[in-house]
Amino acid sequence: MITPFRSARLRSVNRPALLSLTGAGLFLASLDAYVVVTALLPMLTSVHIAVNRAEQATPIITGFLLGYLAVMPIAGALSDRFGRIRIFAACLAFFAFGSFLTASAPSLSQLVTGRLFQGAGGGALVPAVLALAADLYPAGDRSPVLGAVSALQEIGSVLGPLWGGLVTASSFGWTWIFWLNIPAAALIIWALWPEIRSRREERRPTSLDWIGALLATAGLALLTLALYAANPEQSPVGAGIIWQAPLAIFCFVVFVWYERRASHPLINVRWFRDSSFSGSALTNAIAGAGLMVALVYIPVLANAVFSMNASGSALLLVRLMLGIPIGALLGGWLAHRLRSYRIVAALGLVLAAVGFLLLSGWTEGSLKPHLIGPLTQADGELFLTGLGLGLEIAPVSAALLDAVGEAERGAGASFLIVMRLVGMLVGFSLVAGFGLWEFHRATAHLLPPLPALNPNFAAQFAFYTLKVKQAIFDEYHLIFRATAIALLVGAAVAAATLRPLARPRWQ
Amino acid sequence: MPAASPPRLVVAGLALVVALTACGPQPPDGATLLKQSSQRMLALKGFHFQMQITGFTGTGEPVQSAQGDAHPPDLHAKVNLKEGGILLEVEVIFKADSVYLKSFTGGWQQLSAVQVAQFFDARLLFDQQAGLFAAMRDTTAPYRGNSEKVNGHDTYPVDGVLQGPRVHQLLPLIREQGAYHATYWIESPSNNLWRARVTGNLFDASQAATIVFDFSNHDHPVSVSPPPLG
Repeated sequence: MITPFRSARLRSVNRPALLSLTGAGLFLASLDAYVVVTALLPMLTSVHIAVNRAEQATPIITGFLLGYLAVMPIAGALSDRFGRIRIFAACLAFFAFGSFLTASAPSLSQLVTGRLFQGAGGGALVPAVLALAADLYPAGDRSPVLGAVSALQEIGSVLGPLWGGLVTASSFGWTWIFWLNIPAAALIIWALWPEIRSRREERRPTSLDWIGALLATAGLALLTLALYAANPEQSPVGAGIIWQAPLAIFCFVVFVWYERRASHPLINVRWFRDSSFSGSALTNAIAGAGLMVALVYIPVLANAVFSMNASGSALLLVRLMLGIPIGALLGGWLAHRLRSYRIVAALGLVLAAVGFLLLSGWTEGSLKPHLIGPLTQADGELFLTGLGLGLEIAPVSAALLDAVGEAERGAGASFLIVMRLVGMLVGFSLVAGFGLWEFHRATAHLLPPLPALNPNFAAQFAFYTLKVKQAIFDEYHLIFRATAIALLVGAAVAAATLRPLARPRWQ
Repeated sequence: MPAASPPRLVVAGLALVVALTACGPQPPDGATLLKQSSQRMLALKGFHFQMQITGFTGTGEPVQSAQGDAHPPDLHAKVNLKEGGILLEVEVIFKADSVYLKSFTGGWQQLSAVQVAQFFDARLLFDQQAGLFAAMRDTTAPYRGNSEKVNGHDTYPVDGVLQGPRVHQLLPLIREQGAYHATYWIESPSNNLWRARVTGNLFDASQAATIVFDFSNHDHPVSVSPPPLG
């Protein structure tokens, strides 16, 4: 949990400068959260992995999320113990090192290690900067600053795929997404150097729940491995699921048992007794999974069947990403106006589910018909999906934060991010494996024509290409429909569990 | 006879040490190493190989890399092909006179001789007469360098020259003109070849490319069976 310090020293520093610098670092790291979704294909090619072995791209995405999840819950306490700015600088340096490994990777293993380090470094920045902002401003002035820091993080992650797509499509190539992080991080650390060296930053001994963090990370890592379909031709999940999944569950059970006894637990497991809390946590995770599916599969679909390059697929995704902040603002306003979290959250998730169902009906000609002016029906469907995913953010977050005590809001806010990322990690892992498994099942007997001594080769090849595209569409239809069903389940959970807004009162 | 003075003793001692060191086991010269390693590799019951092509390959050469297990002429390999800027992985099996392919989708299909010639006849790579191990004997101007570690093994690099037509036999897409620079990393005394590299303007008269072969699991028996079709 993040507790602000009352440091005379920190109050005397140039607060806007310090926040701008650390905010810039946070923005840099948040850009990289989903930056790879529009660069996956060239990334795979440069580590000599064939496009028909796309399952090997899964760890490039899950590695980052896992690193982020491993570090984020303990970074707040680490910054209590070692100093906010130092932890910030150390993690930014680690993030830059991860970027170096990613950009220079000759092999998939180094690429995934680089992404894991990037996630670990980047994940720690969020609580460190939030805690620093809380230190720098007194309670009454704090919320706009905390809001600005959170907004920076969200804007960064929304712009990431566009940034990634543009750099990848440029003559520089995808590696520059990551090379550029190194001088930027170095510049920020250089500017912060007097603060880092000052040794006057206040620190205090904090009890850190290492065991809880280790248990949760081990459980998540095992679950990710269990769900990773390394050979989707044979199985939609990993070969080791038989022992990895039970071991993961065992880790989670021990985690809950340990957290109930720990003096300073990572999360307060008693919260889960409150159905409004459990319901909003689950809804949040489902929405995270939905967002991740859209983030990964819309660019891949754009590339594989609409033959778009990285910037084209990024621009397609922007239609959806635009809907998210608009939906988020609208959701907050609507929840307040209607004085109901459950209606707005359920409405958002239903809209997102409808969006996914509409997307699942796409065919090769879906991007062509124009609706109004330059806008197509597909643009509207993408925007609707984003709008729905945005609408649920404010009511679900508020319901969760209302359910935790006033003193535990910081930990509750971290838990919100954690659950969203867990949803992304687990949802995406499941969808990736089952989607590819379905593709292989659909094409198991589709033999490609061979050119030699084949007078009808051109016609046969055209027919074959059509069949492959159809199988790719079938795979996406399955993925998007499954996501729509999951979102509808989320809507039902939200409708059944979320409590109404608390009566406004000052504390 | 006067006793030898102390400095003379030291010099004599040093000379003895130097002489003894010089008498230690010396690796054979480059030509002998190449010949012995060629014999060893041609007689193996099986091995694992990796082949990687880098540099300019043009549009006519789709193969980027291959890896698999071989007991020539039988072999089972995964091959990465570059088509229109994207990599595709296919699997091939060469068993006796039959060739099987598993492509982007679907199961295994058998290829005709004409189709194999158009695609990539991986059997040629390790052929008893035309292949790489036979080409070791045809390498001219061999020069053995100092010991180097390759994949954790102490090897001697042997540099030499291979004529264009000889390399063209290995991979028919390689240009017949000119000569190419070849290096072989050979372990002594086992004569295992761990790595071979051919460099030069392999696919274009003015642009360089490199083929690197890495070998492991020397003499581990490899048996390749025909796959189920369909």
